[in-house]
Amino acid sequence: MARQVVDPLTRIEGHLRVEVEVNDGVVTDAWVSGGLYRGMEKILLDRRPSDAFFVAQRICGVCPISHGHASTMSTEDALGITIPNNARIVRNLIEAAQYIHSHILWFYTLAALDYVDPVKALSADIADTYALAQAAGTGVSDFGAVAKRLQAFVDNGQLSIFTNGWFGHPAYAEDMPAELHLIGVAHYLEALEMQAVAAEIIAVMGGKFPHFMTSIPGGTSFVPTENKLDDILFRFIKLNDWVTNTMIPDTLAIAPFYAGALEYGGGHGNFLAWGVFNDDSFEMNNRYLPAGVIKVADGLTVADADPSVLSEDVQRSWYESASGLHPSVGEADAMFDEYNTEARYSWCKAPRYDGAPMEAGPLSRMLVAYLRGVQPVQEIVDGALAALGAAGRPEVLVSLLGRIAARNLETKVVCDWSLEWCNELIEAIAGGDSKYFEPHNVDEGMGAGLWEAPRGALAHFIDIQGGKIDRYQVVTPSTWDCSSRDDQGVRGPMEEALVGTPIIDPERPLEACRIARSFDP
Amino acid sequence: MAHEDHDVIYDLLAARGVSRRDFLKYCGSLAAMLGLSQAFVPEIARAINQGAKLQPAVWLNGGACTGCTESMAQADSPDVATVVLEILSIDFMETLSMAQGQDALDAAEAVFEKEGEYILIYEGSVMKGFDGNSLRIGGKTGLEELDHAAPGAAAIVAVGSCAVDGGFVMAAPNPADATGVQMYLDEKGISTPVVNLPTCPVNPEWVVAIVVDVLLLGSLESGAILDKLDRFGRPKYIFGQTIHDNCPRRGHFENGNFVSEFGSEEEALGYCLYKVGCKGPQTYTNCPIVRWNRRASWCVEAGAPCIGCGSLDWVDVGAPFLNRHRDLPLPNVGNTQPGVIAGVVAGVAAAGLVAHGLGMKATGRMDGGAPYEEMKEHDRKRMKKGGGK
Repeated sequence: MARQVVDPLTRIEGHLRVEVEVNDGVVTDAWVSGGLYRGMEKILLDRRPSDAFFVAQRICGVCPISHGHASTMSTEDALGITIPNNARIVRNLIEAAQYIHSHILWFYTLAALDYVDPVKALSADIADTYALAQAAGTGVSDFGAVAKRLQAFVDNGQLSIFTNGWFGHPAYAEDMPAELHLIGVAHYLEALEMQAVAAEIIAVMGGKFPHFMTSIPGGTSFVPTENKLDDILFRFIKLNDWVTNTMIPDTLAIAPFYAGALEYGGGHGNFLAWGVFNDDSFEMNNRYLPAGVIKVADGLTVADADPSVLSEDVQRSWYESASGLHPSVGEADAMFDEYNTEARYSWCKAPRYDGAPMEAGPLSRMLVAYLRGVQPVQEIVDGALAALGAAGRPEVLVSLLGRIAARNLETKVVCDWSLEWCNELIEAIAGGDSKYFEPHNVDEGMGAGLWEAPRGALAHFIDIQGGKIDRYQVVTPSTWDCSSRDDQGVRGPMEEALVGTPIIDPERPLEACRIARSFDP
Repeated sequence: MAHEDHDVIYDLLAARGVSRRDFLKYCGSLAAMLGLSQAFVPEIARAINQGAKLQPAVWLNGGACTGCTESMAQADSPDVATVVLEILSIDFMETLSMAQGQDALDAAEAVFEKEGEYILIYEGSVMKGFDGNSLRIGGKTGLEELDHAAPGAAAIVAVGSCAVDGGFVMAAPNPADATGVQMYLDEKGISTPVVNLPTCPVNPEWVVAIVVDVLLLGSLESGAILDKLDRFGRPKYIFGQTIHDNCPRRGHFENGNFVSEFGSEEEALGYCLYKVGCKGPQTYTNCPIVRWNRRASWCVEAGAPCIGCGSLDWVDVGAPFLNRHRDLPLPNVGNTQPGVIAGVVAGVAAAGLVAHGLGMKATGRMDGGAPYEEMKEHDRKRMKKGGGK
């Protein structure tokens, strides 16, 4: 019964502690603790609804676009505003740029070092690296220059952000060639460039990233002039090329060396998606990535998602307000006693759907879209399953490797749609539609903004009284995934996914870190 | 002049195919970036050559949204890879460190032992709530981490408005008792110099400018950097002029061409956003010049009025963001009628309003448009201490 603690879990957004119990080389129990309380829901009280958009998006510096959109949608829902069609497309494009940005950054900058060992890359043969890249159909960089740069860096002896990394850890696939490690390092550097290109799109449409300015309640303050349209379109084309020709082939090249990760890390098998990217019906079930719920008890089948059956338990986290409330009437009165895995141990609440823990994220969205028959999702998922030797078995995606694959495949689907939406916007403008903002002057109402951050289902609930915010509650994807145990003692999704994970070296539980990071918390 | 010193930065650049000649050109562009004469090129080259090692640094995340780390990844020249591989050795940074858990903390500890040699970069608010337990890292509070790291640092760079004064996290009612680095260190009697870089998030080009200032110009050792800071610890060369001073839409302001409705034809024409709430006249940053995201754009160019995220206490001062302010809430003063501001406060925000807002009112340029924000009792109740040193 050895407890292992990883605190801080690095390469994530925010502060997270992962504690696992390892017996005979397998995780047998797990506790995940969120380390930060800021009280955003209280900060928003008594402010104007239009200010909530600017403040609430700062919940997360990696997915502020989604928080901004969920916030502004909650206000629009409360006040009965329907935004103009052009504003809908503009918001889809900003959101798409953030998805592409976030997923590239996650795979290469945050997660890749769990699978790619930069030290192994040093022994790569340059000619063989080119040959391997061509065979894998992935992007060819100046591998010689990258190797030289890496060698100079290592020779200098100051390892900067690589200091104390678990180089040579036995969980790195032994048979993965040094050349593939070098390709990984080269594309780690390229990815830093590509994530910035995606962020530039947000800057053009939203002023800057992180934290954007334009998706205010009523529509958007951004007007796409011809100059700005080409700044957007050609950056999306560049991203689509890179994701198609580098990110997807990299995923498929590295995955076979970690095929064992299809066998564990799935967790409860419950999935929730509110859906993201509106079509002109604004219906949740018609979204490009639609809303839906999958419950393990019902097998791999999808049902409509119902926001009325939510609750948030707080008996195991540091809150003293009533437990089990619906977030639209929720409270968040914080307290602190001690860190104790037998009692309270996290700043994350425990959101539940009809009493059950739910995984949120790309895997939820892609499974829901797959089961709802969204064609581009079915095609790309079926293709990837065939490449992994699991044709016709989407259930294998409920695993560590499946969670990673779902995120990367989603990136490609969103890239394709982004080009479609650029054209849709161009056609609308060419057709004479110049409306971007719907003025409004209602000042009472309750509303919800149900949406998806790149890392999963996101809900903002607002109650507006006399033009001021009377109540504001947020259920973020990371509180779904990093949820503490609930009042019944049931583990949160990440905790459950950790259980059953094989650990080679209990002193350095790299495999547990992989599980936690796979949620992109 | 220790010419025989191992020339690390040059070697690292040489590995990327940079010739001696290119290297001097690089120094020349740094001089230009810093607004120095080309006569400084040999000086800069010598400064680089003297460096035997990359500058040790630790990046701590307080009560942060990680947006400033994200923003740092958007740096243009040098890009973030160059910063972390060839300029700084950031041995601990929660979002980018390869190491995790105790090994990551040990990497930070090894740097902390080099007293007086490392730069501490702090992102996010200092979290005092619940005896510091509103932020827990490695089984300790965030306060313990900062108490340990700050005294030995050569300097602290507070990146983003949260680190400067608590930012949005300390907006009323400040539920987690958040504050800024400088304010916290003052309470604790820690005298390490702090360079404050507000805005939400920080603009990465400013962080890079400070790195160049400290490392290449040696302005920390010489003490020159302190002369470049204003009384809030902000570099004057970044925060010395208002957005309004340098705004490309300024001509429309002068001509009285304003956007009166969002997303309108007036916006397509690039008219001035003052009437829909722009805080450019009271916000001291060089955003219109440096711009954002590798110079792709910035808030006003995208059609959004400035919300003043570079101001102190920016949420409570700037909200409601989409209204013009008749009464300007100021830190330490409370709601203030513009007419008495000049007599009461010497603060920069007040000066901005007097210079521009009142001028506009006086010339009658501001007739019509969205209504002025009314005097608000709830804002008066919210006003609190703080907002900079």
